Amino acid sequence: MNWFSSFPQMNDSSLTALKKAIDEGFRQFTRQYGDTIEGFFTPLQAFLIWAERLMINTPWPIVLAVVGAIAWLASRRVSVTAAAIATLLLIGYFGMWEDTMRTISMILVCTVLSIAIGIPIGILMARSAAVQGCINPVLDVMQTMPSFVYLIPVVMLLGIGRVPGVIAVVIYALPPIIRLTNLGIRLVDRDMLEAADAFGSSSWQKLRKVQLPLALPTIMAGINQTIMMALAMVVIASMIGVQGLGQPVLKAIANQYFTLGIFNGLAIVGIAIIFDRVSQAFGLRLQKHREAVHG
Amino acid sequence: MKTLLATTCLALAVLGGAGPARAAECGDVTIASMNWQSAEVLANVDKFILNKGYGCNADITTGDTVPTITSMVEKGQPDVAPEGWVDLLPEVVSRGLSEGRIVEGSQALPDGGIQGWWIPQYVADAHPDIKTIPDMLKHPELFPAPENPGKGAVTNGPQGWGGTIVTSQLFKAYGAANDNFVLIDTGSAAGLDGSLAKAYERKQGWVGYYWAPTSLLGKYKMVKLDFGVPYDPAEWKRCNTKADCPDPKPNTWPVDHVFTLMSKKFADRAGPEVVAYFKARAWSNDTVEKLMAWMTDNQATGEDGAKYFLKNNEALWTKWVSADAAKKIKAAL
Repeated sequence: MNWFSSFPQMNDSSLTALKKAIDEGFRQFTRQYGDTIEGFFTPLQAFLIWAERLMINTPWPIVLAVVGAIAWLASRRVSVTAAAIATLLLIGYFGMWEDTMRTISMILVCTVLSIAIGIPIGILMARSAAVQGCINPVLDVMQTMPSFVYLIPVVMLLGIGRVPGVIAVVIYALPPIIRLTNLGIRLVDRDMLEAADAFGSSSWQKLRKVQLPLALPTIMAGINQTIMMALAMVVIASMIGVQGLGQPVLKAIANQYFTLGIFNGLAIVGIAIIFDRVSQAFGLRLQKHREAVHG
Repeated sequence: MKTLLATTCLALAVLGGAGPARAAECGDVTIASMNWQSAEVLANVDKFILNKGYGCNADITTGDTVPTITSMVEKGQPDVAPEGWVDLLPEVVSRGLSEGRIVEGSQALPDGGIQGWWIPQYVADAHPDIKTIPDMLKHPELFPAPENPGKGAVTNGPQGWGGTIVTSQLFKAYGAANDNFVLIDTGSAAGLDGSLAKAYERKQGWVGYYWAPTSLLGKYKMVKLDFGVPYDPAEWKRCNTKADCPDPKPNTWPVDHVFTLMSKKFADRAGPEVVAYFKARAWSNDTVEKLMAWMTDNQATGEDGAKYFLKNNEALWTKWVSADAAKKIKAAL
């Protein structure tokens, strides 16, 4: 009755042989195509290095002024601008300025990439049930597969550093924006779409002028989640050598420096909140058309 | 009636399936498994022997050198650290021993641990003039930093390893920054291994921290750089091993003494047989490297490696345990 109490699994030696065959296959792949793939990512790497140098070498009052200006232009609200500047001032005062600049430069690129890739995919999914059926499992894998599982092959191909970090962060941060864009567009009232058709809009006009504006609250929720998830990955990225706020947190975990961990953790939270409030306030301004409804 | 029947069945099942009887003397034991292969397999060997041979209830807890040894000295937890690389924390360990908080077992790796900065064999062959660290520092172009064009890179291990602290201090001591080098923090053991593997597979230059005995060094042939200066033990204790000491001097990395450490509380309550085991158990670098090569080839976990070792090295491990325990262990294999 042994098959009843312990699961009848694949023969140990065949299982090992299978694993080794896949590993060896992958190793051959990296030897053959490693250089080409690395070359493909070189522009991205150069851009990331340039952006980071820019943020670190800019004197801090200029960075504060630029952040304040962006916050103001996006939100037109004093509270958001003041909070953004105050948070950065506190972060700098507690000695985390350079790490924060590195993290901001990388996460900004990751978030913009995620949004730029995610919204079109979300729109495609909203148009067709077949596409949704194909992409949904991929999103599930992206969100739940432990990052180190796909990072090991990525590190073998690309080495440690920024590009694997960006890959890890983007893979994790992409699903929320895709799912919520898909959801937002699908939730648009059928009557609105009928009215748009009745007025003779083309597909593109319907998308731009009816579906996207009405789906905006949900899409903004997606952007908020993407930003939060991107910043949550900062520590995992530091495990493959990405510099920034993740490294002191990792140091704190490894050496049990409680306060160091808390300070850097709070800095990560602070940046997440700045990014989020500014983008949400911008989103609110884009939805000014809704005020007419309540008018 | 049905509910009564169901509850009775459930109760009987629970009682019937009750766990093994309480361990005789040594009770619950926590064994520290550090995140490198030799420590992992040794911890699993200890767990198997303690559980099957001496009736303990041993369990594995993960933790690296610095937090484990500090925690043992401060709080008496975990109970046993099978691979304690004591030379990386000389002050903490000597304080712990003198204050009677920890007890030294055997020298787990009598050949010692060999740590240092290694370069690939193909680089050493192509440049026979690079034998010491100062030689290496003259050639940043041979060891390019992947993300800092124009600079060389010394790859460090993750935080939490004693070797990481020593490497950072040596980096400062040799003035590597002035020779246009940067120190890369790889973030994790996987990151360090991945960076070495990638460089080796592509035949690129790489210099960084590593140690023997490991299976990675068995797979990728590397050459250890000489430090160029004799070993100075006072300086080692004073500055090379302290992360925040501002003025380290170049020093040779001594062959590490790797001792099994036990907390005093555990040594007192575990009984003389278990303590005798921990004072006798030791294996050569050769043995453990062969074992690790087998483990890597077969993708074995620490547990599988431990079982393989016990099955195939009876002559060796029966010397460590009492005859009684040996019988029980053989029966359990």
